[in-house]
Amino acid sequence: MAGSDLGMSADTAGTGPAAGTAGTGSGGPPRDPAGAGTARVGPRLFVRLKLRLIAGNLRGDTTRLLGFVFTVLAALVVASFGFLLMAMLRMAPAGVAADVGTVLFTVLLLGWTLVPLLAFGLDDTLDPSRLALLPLRTRQLATGMFASSVTGVWPLATLVVTSGAIAGLARGLGGVLVGVVAVLLQFTLCIVVSRLVTTSLSGILRTRRGRDVLAISVIFVILGAQLPNLLLNRGLTGDPLVMLDGVASALRWTPPGMAAHAIADGGPAALAELAFLAALAVVLGWLWIVALRRSLVTADASTEAASVRNSRGLLARLLPDGQLAAVATKELRYARRDPRGRVGWFAALAVTGIMAFSLGGQEGPSPGPALAIGPACIGALMIGLQACNSFGIDGRSLWMNSVVYGTARDWRTDLAGRHLAVATIGVPALGLLSLVAGLIAGNAAWAVPAMFTAWGVLGVGLGMGALTSVLLPYTVPERLNAFTGAAPGQGGVAFLASFGAMIGTGLLALPVVLPMLFGLDWVVALAAPYGVLVSWGGRRIAGNLGFARYPEILGAISKAT
Amino acid sequence: MTDITDAVRTQGLFKRFGQQVAVGGVDLVVPRGSFAGLVGPNGAGKTTTLSMVTGLLRPDAGLIRIDGADVWRDPVAVKARIGVLPEGLRLFERLSGRELLSYNGQLRGIPKAEVERRAEELLRVMDLADSADKLVVDYSTGMRKKIGLAAALLHNPKVLFLDEPFEGVDPVSANTLVEVLRRYTASGATVVFSSHVMDLVERLCDWVSVMSRGQIVAQGPLEEVRGGRSLNEAFLGLVGAGANGNGEEGLSWLGATSA
Repeated sequence: MAGSDLGMSADTAGTGPAAGTAGTGSGGPPRDPAGAGTARVGPRLFVRLKLRLIAGNLRGDTTRLLGFVFTVLAALVVASFGFLLMAMLRMAPAGVAADVGTVLFTVLLLGWTLVPLLAFGLDDTLDPSRLALLPLRTRQLATGMFASSVTGVWPLATLVVTSGAIAGLARGLGGVLVGVVAVLLQFTLCIVVSRLVTTSLSGILRTRRGRDVLAISVIFVILGAQLPNLLLNRGLTGDPLVMLDGVASALRWTPPGMAAHAIADGGPAALAELAFLAALAVVLGWLWIVALRRSLVTADASTEAASVRNSRGLLARLLPDGQLAAVATKELRYARRDPRGRVGWFAALAVTGIMAFSLGGQEGPSPGPALAIGPACIGALMIGLQACNSFGIDGRSLWMNSVVYGTARDWRTDLAGRHLAVATIGVPALGLLSLVAGLIAGNAAWAVPAMFTAWGVLGVGLGMGALTSVLLPYTVPERLNAFTGAAPGQGGVAFLASFGAMIGTGLLALPVVLPMLFGLDWVVALAAPYGVLVSWGGRRIAGNLGFARYPEILGAISKAT
Repeated sequence: MTDITDAVRTQGLFKRFGQQVAVGGVDLVVPRGSFAGLVGPNGAGKTTTLSMVTGLLRPDAGLIRIDGADVWRDPVAVKARIGVLPEGLRLFERLSGRELLSYNGQLRGIPKAEVERRAEELLRVMDLADSADKLVVDYSTGMRKKIGLAAALLHNPKVLFLDEPFEGVDPVSANTLVEVLRRYTASGATVVFSSHVMDLVERLCDWVSVMSRGQIVAQGPLEEVRGGRSLNEAFLGLVGAGANGNGEEGLSWLGATSA
């Protein structure tokens, strides 16, 4: 079991700030006759712990402080706009208002379920294992963790947005009264569901494999963000009101749907729905306590490990022995085994596919090879961006290469190995993409110019990427989350590197892409050699620069995250 | 001008991070063939010094020569000659132990068959044969230090630099590391390692350099540096600790009978 019935001991002399927080709890006299200041541990202690963690996190670090200010501002904006949006539903017809309320409530609940999972590890109070050694009962821990999860800018913003529904949906006094309860219940559900999910998965999340799997799920967020865009582009919407009604009626009997309906209804049916929601919250809370109790006494399984296949790979067999083969093979293994590698590649390919799909669907003024060349080139650009911070994923491990390379030529070979790995995946992928783009555009033969142009653009992208890799290197965090791709304080560098590489590639690719778009088909024969030439030139300059400044590169990609 | 009998010699090595001087004029000397310990409290500048000596961090000023070759002017000669096990031990986590060794060997231009032969032997000696095909990310600290040492030894370097090789290592693995290092120095190679475990330094080393606040405060053969005392006592005297209280004032409640 989680702990004995002892309270947490607090130093009444107030010697340390941490000890001093354990002052007042949920009442009850101190039971320790020695009078050493033992107090009951109540939710307020956890609230203060959370506030202290937030404050401590900000101390002495301007970037984090700015980040926090930005978060607060963002939450303020979300809260006020959300509230206004909800409140303005009053002006809409009752049916539409209830539908919008239902959808928004569901989005909030989903958000609370998913976001903490993707950002697991951002908040110390989220991981119950950190509190496992404290002498607390599971119930105390549960109320405490509930209190600490309610503390924060986003929970407050959620509460504000949710309560906007009272203004927007409620009709009459009954509706308002029901609304207050419904809003609190919806809020509680958000918190409890998010707790339940993180707690029951915390065992998995602590293993390396679990985190790897979760990192991949970032992809779905990226894809999810593309979905509305895609739907709009394909013109599937028809009448938005009809669609809204369809979605809302599907969600009508989900808990958030019932909460929204209860506010709009305000009658006896609403009371029944509230009773159901309350019961649901209690059941979920109970499940959460069970999960908490179990996660506290379950062993950490993070040291179990499986073997990898000891395969040589085709590339390693084809290439002559040496640095080039070593680096290329290693990069290919990383693309497969490192979640960051997998996410990067998957995102690049998926975004490209989506773009090809949505561009191809539009009615262009002049259907021609451009309809196939455009998406293929965008794909090449996206894949080329994989190489705009070539050393980033290696991070501090790059010392192993640095202590070996004694000449600019070594660094050039290293970059060539990395480019070879990107090309090994990228060249066939672009071929396939060109074929698909050609088919969508209406003529499979257009795939041929598209393919060669795309390969040329990829070469240009690799050459530019070699330059940004040595000039603007940045740390890629170990733990991916959907919101940042660089270490704290390096967001600007990362932005510059990827946009620099993108604009540079675009400009340098113009000599082959422009004539193609204007129908000078013979230029296609030059595209691929041109790309090879630019990538060679890029490696040549970058090799010299890299050799001259590798200690600085090593420093830039080894930042703490 | 350089004494060719020195494996490592630095002159006026200097590094500053912002306002803080991490290394303030270090003249490190390690004679060839010695098992040298670089000792000092946390923050003394040991890691910074070793990073600069191994060419991973650019010094603000100063000269570094390894076997007479300048680290920053003649990197080809130096890099072929040294093996490194840096602090923190960031390895290529998503390679298996075996793949890590073969990667390292291929980078160094050793023929593949030879790399495989050496890797196999190193894995066996380091007691890693069973875990050779597991990813390094799943290794324990001791295993990581052992695979790191194996990677550093693979090309048979003349001088080996190890930053805290025994930190967080269990006694069995530590024993393996010590055995391998002893065999290695017996053949005439040089080992420089940093540590703050005095017992270990005393047991292993014949040459000691003591660092404190970015300076070398004592350097020489072990017997000379400790001067009849235990190395621990000599060290505490040199870095100026131990004079101000032994922790008896305060903490009066500690160990008392109350709950």
